[in-house]
Amino acid sequence: MSSRKNVHNMRYVRMFLLQFQEIMVQRARSFVWFLLSLLNPLLLLIFWSGVYQQKHAFLSDWSIATVTSYYLLLIIASSLLIVHIEETVAIIDIREGGLVKHLTRPFSYFWLMFINELPWRVFQGALGIFVFLLFSLLFKSFVQLSHDPATLIVSFLIIILAYMISFIFKMILGLSAFWFTDFWGLQQLVEVVILSFAGFLMPLEFYPKLIEQIAYALPFSYIIYYPIIAIQGKLLLPQLFQVMGIQLMWIIVFAVIYKYLWRKGIEKFVGVGQ
Amino acid sequence: MRFIRKLLFCYNRLNTMSIIHVSHLTKHYTVYKKQPGFFGSVKSLVSRKSEIVKAVEDVSFTIDEGELVGFIGPNGAGKTTTLKCLSGLLYPTSGKVDVLDFTPFDRKTPFLKQIALVMGQKNQLWWDLPAMETFLLNKEIYDIPDARFNETVSDLATLLDAKDTLHVPVRKLSLGQRMKMELIASLIHTPKVMFLDEPTIGLDVVMQKKIREFLKGYNEKYKATILLTSHYMGDVEELCKRVIIINFGKILYDGLLSDLIKKHAPYKLISVVLREYVDPKKLESFGTVHTFTFPEWVIKVKQKDSNDIAARILKQLPVQDINIEDPDIEEVIRDVFTKKRS
Repeated sequence: MSSRKNVHNMRYVRMFLLQFQEIMVQRARSFVWFLLSLLNPLLLLIFWSGVYQQKHAFLSDWSIATVTSYYLLLIIASSLLIVHIEETVAIIDIREGGLVKHLTRPFSYFWLMFINELPWRVFQGALGIFVFLLFSLLFKSFVQLSHDPATLIVSFLIIILAYMISFIFKMILGLSAFWFTDFWGLQQLVEVVILSFAGFLMPLEFYPKLIEQIAYALPFSYIIYYPIIAIQGKLLLPQLFQVMGIQLMWIIVFAVIYKYLWRKGIEKFVGVGQ
Repeated sequence: MRFIRKLLFCYNRLNTMSIIHVSHLTKHYTVYKKQPGFFGSVKSLVSRKSEIVKAVEDVSFTIDEGELVGFIGPNGAGKTTTLKCLSGLLYPTSGKVDVLDFTPFDRKTPFLKQIALVMGQKNQLWWDLPAMETFLLNKEIYDIPDARFNETVSDLATLLDAKDTLHVPVRKLSLGQRMKMELIASLIHTPKVMFLDEPTIGLDVVMQKKIREFLKGYNEKYKATILLTSHYMGDVEELCKRVIIINFGKILYDGLLSDLIKKHAPYKLISVVLREYVDPKKLESFGTVHTFTFPEWVIKVKQKDSNDIAARILKQLPVQDINIEDPDIEEVIRDVFTKKRS
């Protein structure tokens, strides 16, 4: 029984590795995308280093080292945790009818897309880690991370949950193409919201109180902001578990929404034919 | 009435070796219409006009195991809609569909592992990688053991004469070579039932022939049941003993192709190449003139008289070459459409 299960697990690994080959062929494109995601944190890093050069600059308990670490970790987080599967789902599969081939195969569409996307994130995340390590070597004193093994282990789990939130949310966004003809409009709107509330621009603590509270209430801070500050060691263990709890809640909420939309969407898709 | 229909359906199921049963299948779509221009767009935001399109209307047929059936009809006739209902992509408006004892729309894994839907205009191969990588992905998706996978790839590649292209990146293959790879990718799990929608579309005549030979070979080797739609009558003539003709969502004919020809075209065509010009009036005495552009002359004659008339022509006219041919299948089918419409 367990050997059969292992064979099945290996099946997923083999599919992941096959998909990874596609990424290796398109490494140049992937690298350019990575450079684009690098741009935002680096520009902001330059801005904040300017701010901290002012004598009286003081922002809560954020030193120049923690802010620098934040933006360097943001490079990894944005390339590893921001999923970009929605276009494939909306345009290629739903609008252009690619879904037809998936629906006639004995494999879950959700997990197929998961395996499709994961190699891209792993590849770009690896580039992010490389840049992070490079900076860490050059400017050692500007990088501050948690050294507590328990914090790091829980943070690792938070990163996995963050990926799941990001993935399911983007799948839901993709499914919206079943109903909306202007998918791009919605996608751009969502991008702006994520950019504003996930912690891309600055640590959420720097926001005005009201906006900060809104950001905490939305799921996007659990994709970027909390994983970063968890790794930085800014949260105590109970707080880390609290973050995990809220992440699990969002995963459940999104999973239910996804299931509902998938069922309704498929009914609509097969109802009109493609 | 519905109960009796169900009883009849079950009775038919028990009394045949059929693996595809379609009973009173109907599929209607709602299509929203928009008036042209800017104001039409604005108006459509408030009120939309809809129209019911009857894609398939009360279609019934059964297909036996191992049969290779041609599904013929013009664009919009309902062919692809029927194939999609059979492969579980569309939910019927009414009627019953049963394939391999499954209800297709449930899309259960054992059902999906036994069917394939090949659409000539859709592709599944990775563009930058050799087709073999897509086959390997499908191997995992269909959970095929290594030995069976290797054997099937080798068999299919031999049947298609495509062993050399398995490891070449797809982007470097010609359209025909790509179609061969698409076919292997779709059949890697050796399906018992295949739905082929225009498998030879866009291919040159040589490649069309190759694909037909392959389908014939696959049908014989794997005892697969194949339902094929095509606009190329060559596909149908070469592959299918039985045809189902559909138009406006309704079946116009279901039976042997040879019977169709006998019924709708009980004549033969005698084509003659003349050595010298002959008065067309004289030619008319042999049969109905189909075409005459000197030196070529084609007449329509009754099937049973064709040999005698050919002999007379040879005796009485200056003939360079003569042939007795079956009527053009496309013309026969056109004839079916026209008769049913009128």
